[in-house]
Amino acid sequence: MAFLMYGDPKVKYLCSCGSMKPISRIYFCRHCMKIKCGFCVSHEVDLHYCSNCLENLPSTEARLKKNRCGYCFDCPSCQISLNTRAVSQAVPNPDDPSKMLSKKSYYLVCAFCRWTSREASIPDQNVANGGWPEIDCPNSKRVAELVDHYQEISLQEKDEEERKKKYQVRPSYFHYAEKYGLSAALAKKRMGGTPQRETRTQQSALVPAVASEEVEELSDSVFIEQLELNKVTTIKQRLASPEIQPTVVSQLYPLHKSLLVKRSLRCRDCEHNVSKPEFNPSSTKFKIQLSAFYHVPDVKFLTCEPVFIGKRSELIITVCNPTQHQSSFKMHPFELNLGAKGSGDAEESAPGLKLCLPECARDAQFKINGTIKLPTTEFQLLPRDDTAEFDDSNKGPTFNDDPKVVVWRRGNKIALRMAVSPDADAEGVLSIGFVIEYSYVNTMTTLEKKEPQKVKLKTHILLRPGPIFKSSQ
Amino acid sequence: MNSLTMLYEGRNLISEKPVVVIDIGRAYTKCGFAGESAPRCIIPSEFLCKSTGASKKVFDYETRDQLYQNFVEFGHILFFKYLLVTPKDRKVVIVESLLNPSLERDTLAQVLFSYYELSSVCMVPSHMVSLYTLAVPTALVLDIGYKEAVLIPVVENTPVLHAYQALALAGEAVELNLRKLLESQCKEEEQFYLKAKPLPNSTVEDIKVRGCFVTKLDRAQMIQASVKEPSVSAPTPPPDLPYPLGGDRSITIPGTSRELAYEVLFELDNDLMSIATMILDAILKCPLDTRVSLAENILLIGGTSMALGLKSRLQQELLDLLVTPQYIKKLALKKFCFHNPPAKENYVAWLGGAIMGATNSIVKRSVTREDYSKVPKIPDWADLSFNCNDGVKRG
Repeated sequence: MAFLMYGDPKVKYLCSCGSMKPISRIYFCRHCMKIKCGFCVSHEVDLHYCSNCLENLPSTEARLKKNRCGYCFDCPSCQISLNTRAVSQAVPNPDDPSKMLSKKSYYLVCAFCRWTSREASIPDQNVANGGWPEIDCPNSKRVAELVDHYQEISLQEKDEEERKKKYQVRPSYFHYAEKYGLSAALAKKRMGGTPQRETRTQQSALVPAVASEEVEELSDSVFIEQLELNKVTTIKQRLASPEIQPTVVSQLYPLHKSLLVKRSLRCRDCEHNVSKPEFNPSSTKFKIQLSAFYHVPDVKFLTCEPVFIGKRSELIITVCNPTQHQSSFKMHPFELNLGAKGSGDAEESAPGLKLCLPECARDAQFKINGTIKLPTTEFQLLPRDDTAEFDDSNKGPTFNDDPKVVVWRRGNKIALRMAVSPDADAEGVLSIGFVIEYSYVNTMTTLEKKEPQKVKLKTHILLRPGPIFKSSQ
Repeated sequence: MNSLTMLYEGRNLISEKPVVVIDIGRAYTKCGFAGESAPRCIIPSEFLCKSTGASKKVFDYETRDQLYQNFVEFGHILFFKYLLVTPKDRKVVIVESLLNPSLERDTLAQVLFSYYELSSVCMVPSHMVSLYTLAVPTALVLDIGYKEAVLIPVVENTPVLHAYQALALAGEAVELNLRKLLESQCKEEEQFYLKAKPLPNSTVEDIKVRGCFVTKLDRAQMIQASVKEPSVSAPTPPPDLPYPLGGDRSITIPGTSRELAYEVLFELDNDLMSIATMILDAILKCPLDTRVSLAENILLIGGTSMALGLKSRLQQELLDLLVTPQYIKKLALKKFCFHNPPAKENYVAWLGGAIMGATNSIVKRSVTREDYSKVPKIPDWADLSFNCNDGVKRG
């Protein structure tokens, strides 16, 4: 599987935005019948959840809690989830001091770096969940005052502007107002408005900050005492709690675990979802998942003879029909009319808002340095049938295939033989391309079309079979 | 959560979508929501590059398209890993330096409008909005970040642009200096090791943050004198610091390296400039009647200004420079006062943007998506098409 996720894949599909991606990374929008990729769909936050307790939080609650889980904590030292550990202590029974009672208390401990909440001198708790003392941002009061002050100023500014507008000479509509009985309403509005404005003009009693001449001196102990590196926090530990930024280890305080989100993806053209996860945080399934490998013929690279300049090599690829419907496909030479295609859609929207794909990436992807001899006939592919894998009787319909082109055929899969040859001046890795035109049965029912409709679609595919060798000794 | 923050969060509940405030720095990016007293996250401005699998800095680009791609990738991290909001139809405040290249701000605006489909973008200059955290109209704002130190005096809420100062004396210069010092001052076998396998940038940064400090002026002068004349004895260096490398090695960081790493900010370079002369030069370029109030309202922002002892050293340097022949006849200042904003230095500018984003003025000052779709440009002080009377008209 690793080759699908990482590295440079051998087979890439052209997305409608112009980037090239392996089939595992693209989507197929069934509504506009185009290939979409992670770059050109719009991402949305679907739900917030905590990765530790797998509880989902509604978005208002998540916002109130500053996108953090109320019960789970991260280690301030190494940012790994903290565990709650229980210890039982013997305490004297209040009724009968001669007897001892065992009482449970809880503290937080990191299983990785062994940091405990006792190091931050947080007292042990009597309940396992919650109740941990919170640390407050020391400046929040002052910041709130500042926000109020500036909000007042901006409202004042707005008022002044409105007043200016009022005194502008403009046609009088007073006779209309009287005619339609608006004057009473206007007077009421004015009466209500005036005292409000007066309160606003009162300046809030915000004390501007005063700079001080005294600054914190560097203490002489720096020059004498041995610095203990283990007691000084790293920059990562400091920035993990931006409001405090502790400099010594004893000031580290457990961090509320940050929430994670599930994303849903939406096609930018038709605004339909191409991927929507299930609402339950512990489920890894999707409500909608229009991955391309459920809809688009899956072209896989099978083998290729070593590629030499000036020589033809044999290339074998497989094409697989992943849909539940019989399909046919035909291959065409690769044509590069991308520029026209890309701008055609985009020009409709405003010029500034065009989604642009970096040109450089596009050029590098389309460096074709070889030719491929494509079969001219049309091939039929059976629908996908999961049981056919276990059926050895091979009773499927027979096709009139050219044995020179079709190597073998099994169920919904076909292996094709083709000849490739690199250009005379080609270097590096051979890359060749073709267009596959396939029939697709769209089962999406719309208001106008209730019946499933069969359409022909085209997809550009880029193959990189392997390195090119100079001579063929 | 205490009652105050709760009360204060109420503001965000009223407006359906809180305004997002982002300050993309060369080294670290601060981002969060308007009206809050601290950013939600301060993260390195880098992302994992999908094609190479290595981490890549946001501002590491050659062409505009690469920068576009970088901003897209980094935006995904900001919106879906830290802010956890859908960017579409949201308002955003971008805190940027006045000296930010037009290419970068135009590309960022393009990404925000066309890719993330935000409803409005408000770009605010970092030096100006920093004053929102103080509520004073006049201050000399010195931003010592990672790439460069930029100083812009602000007088009565107006930046005095012709007095701006910028020098490449910031976090990166300190790290380069520290690297050089380590390679020359470590023990011999360690020097050999360091040359064979240079320390990664993150390690050098860690040594800088945890082990180094800004020394006092008298000690620095003694050290400088001892370099020139062997007869003068240097002060006893601070203790050496054993520093573990990986899991199997450790190097000893000499006390002199710890003490001298930050000296690059204060040593006069070939043009006789340092961060202290930047302040004095800027004051000299400002009108006479503002000079005293500027000197008495100095605001240091940026992560590097959090270094241990930097503020007091800067003050000593300023007072010391005042009596040098270069300034003694020109400046009649007596004291230099520093502000203590209600934030850590590394997110002061962000906090200014967050305070501004919580007020109504953002509605008026933002460029909306509709405006941008008509004229795909963001107003820029350096662009004459916005600064002339017959400039681009919007709406």
